[in-house]
Amino acid sequence: MSTNERKWDWEIGSKTSYWGWSLPELWAYRHLVANHVRRDFLLNYQQTVLGPVWILIQPIFTLVTYIVVFYKLVGISTGNVPAVLFYFSGIVLWNFFNDSFGGTAFTFKEHAHVFSKVYFPRILMPISALSTHFLRFLMQLLLLVLGTVYYWLFQGFELRFQPWIFALPIAIFLVGTIGLGLGLIFSVLTAKYRDLINFVNLGLRLFMFLTPVIYPVAFISEKAAWAQWLVQLNPLTPLFELFRLSLFGEGTVTVIQLAYSALFAIVLLFSALLVFNKQGDKLIDVV
Amino acid sequence: MADIVIEVENLSKMYRLGTIGTGSLRQDLQHWWTTAVLKKENPFFQLQGHEGAHHKDVIWALQNVSFEIKQGEAWGIIGSNGSGKSTLLKILSRIVRPTRGNVKGRGKVSSLLEVGTGFHPELTGRENIFTSGYILGMSKNEIRSKFDEIVAFSGVEKFIDTPVKRYSSGMYVRLAFAVAAHLEPDILIVDEVLAVGDADFQKKCLGKMRDVSQKDGRTVLFVSHTMQAVNNLCDKALWLEKGHMREIGAASAVVNKYLAGLQHYKMNESWDNPEEAPGNEWIRFKSIELVPHLEDENDPIDIRTPLTVRFKFWNMQDNVVLNMGMDLFNYGGECVFDVPSTTMLCQKGLVEGECKIPGNFLNDGSYYLSLMVVKDASVKLFYLEECLSFDVADYRGDTNWYGKWQGAVRPRFPFEIRQSEMVLQ
Repeated sequence: MSTNERKWDWEIGSKTSYWGWSLPELWAYRHLVANHVRRDFLLNYQQTVLGPVWILIQPIFTLVTYIVVFYKLVGISTGNVPAVLFYFSGIVLWNFFNDSFGGTAFTFKEHAHVFSKVYFPRILMPISALSTHFLRFLMQLLLLVLGTVYYWLFQGFELRFQPWIFALPIAIFLVGTIGLGLGLIFSVLTAKYRDLINFVNLGLRLFMFLTPVIYPVAFISEKAAWAQWLVQLNPLTPLFELFRLSLFGEGTVTVIQLAYSALFAIVLLFSALLVFNKQGDKLIDVV
Repeated sequence: MADIVIEVENLSKMYRLGTIGTGSLRQDLQHWWTTAVLKKENPFFQLQGHEGAHHKDVIWALQNVSFEIKQGEAWGIIGSNGSGKSTLLKILSRIVRPTRGNVKGRGKVSSLLEVGTGFHPELTGRENIFTSGYILGMSKNEIRSKFDEIVAFSGVEKFIDTPVKRYSSGMYVRLAFAVAAHLEPDILIVDEVLAVGDADFQKKCLGKMRDVSQKDGRTVLFVSHTMQAVNNLCDKALWLEKGHMREIGAASAVVNKYLAGLQHYKMNESWDNPEEAPGNEWIRFKSIELVPHLEDENDPIDIRTPLTVRFKFWNMQDNVVLNMGMDLFNYGGECVFDVPSTTMLCQKGLVEGECKIPGNFLNDGSYYLSLMVVKDASVKLFYLEECLSFDVADYRGDTNWYGKWQGAVRPRFPFEIRQSEMVLQ
């Protein structure tokens, strides 16, 4: 049989594999990702008065709330960094983590109707969600940089050039990696167990208080030493400190802590990809 | 010899009935702890008296399905609801995994299991063409080069920059199908497209599918409940029944067997004993029978088939003037016709008669008929209701139109056209 000697292009069996990525295939779908990012922006701001300005308004309002509650009322010291910059940097980076996790944690649940009708590599959906949130983050980051320049020029905030500035992309990258990694794992879990959906939303809110978003690590070691180990165990902690260190030259972080975060992020993402790939095909029967 | 592009081997798919898994993390952990860690029998189901629950609550949507599809063939997949057609398509489209067996194939597969996959109501027609195109696996250049063609095919040019949520449902479906119709895969998988859209559009869709399979030489797999379309579009057909392969082979042969098996008619009934026969003090029926005049008795009754209704009854009165009435109803309960027989002076004893319904008269559909015995052409003696039922299958011959043929009947009156004048140039 001459026909059977030719190789098959594809095969569908009962076993799902841990590692089934094919980069050419993902590349072939690159426009799908670009299109989804565009779509998300259009959908979020169509028929709104202020349009994409909302991307900036939301963190600004959060900033005002945090300043009033945590700075004025609770009186958390932000060191030499102006409170506005300190809180805004925390909010912007936390939003990025929050969105990259929250935006991918319900992948299967949200896209079940499309997943059950057409095949494409499932990972594209979390990737496009992450890209959308990354773009939003970049816009907010730009506002943060502008604010920093303003404080430096007009408010006498001392800002000297220091080599830590080059660590900024690393901090952002690792925060995104952890967000996506957790998101992928939870996307599999939330598809199977509905009760986790509430847990995710609640957990995210509590998790924020274990991350130095509204306080510097220096503050926790002074005022609440009993909680220090919890905060230090959080792999996001060194990244938030690194983020501020690279922008403002002030933060508490050691190389060992950074290595811990980086290792955590990479192991997490790798195992998340394995789980996502292995479970992805089976989940369509469940959701 | 054409290449085999899809090879399906012993494909089986099992679904669990009811809730899948236990649904909560606590119960799954408990289950895992007892079975995997403590190596005990699963106590969870036993405690609740669900012994062997996992054997009963299982359904095999497909069992040991194997076939081969060659390059350029058009296949129809037929079967009643729940026979596993959609499951098969989903496996072939890589959406779900089979429980056992495997599928091997060559070339790019595009599947169209739903019209409008990836459409978003808030986006305009233009944006949706791109979104849907990308999801279905088209490239940017492909969509760009076919954009105008897609818009023209859909016929929604004027509204292309309007959000599709403001479209009528017909426009929405047309645009969605237009995108899908311009896919150029090696293998196209289509699930029941004919269920949507108006008659004109259905015609367009089928024409497009015919082009894809016959002109472009692509391989097409097509699930449909419209036997006429399968007959016309497909070379081969697969009949699934409860997940098993019932028949496989040339489309027309499989479709005929399917239709014949589907027809649920009561073709005849007879009573030996007058006391038990339906009737009253004046009339008792002895037998009723519907005889289709078919060349091959395994063929289904279709619109061309002449039918004869034969009946016999016992008349209990002397010197009575009788005639019969026959009412034919379609399954909507509408009376298609009510025909009277000739009138005759009858004596005590058996009376028989027959009525012929010519071929090329009834439309396709399901029918039942009732017989009435009338005295003096005015008094109803007995009405035997819904005594025979039968189905009439469709047959179109050479036509490109596969939608439902309208009308209570479909007679072939003499109907012709002539050229009465020619304009000479």
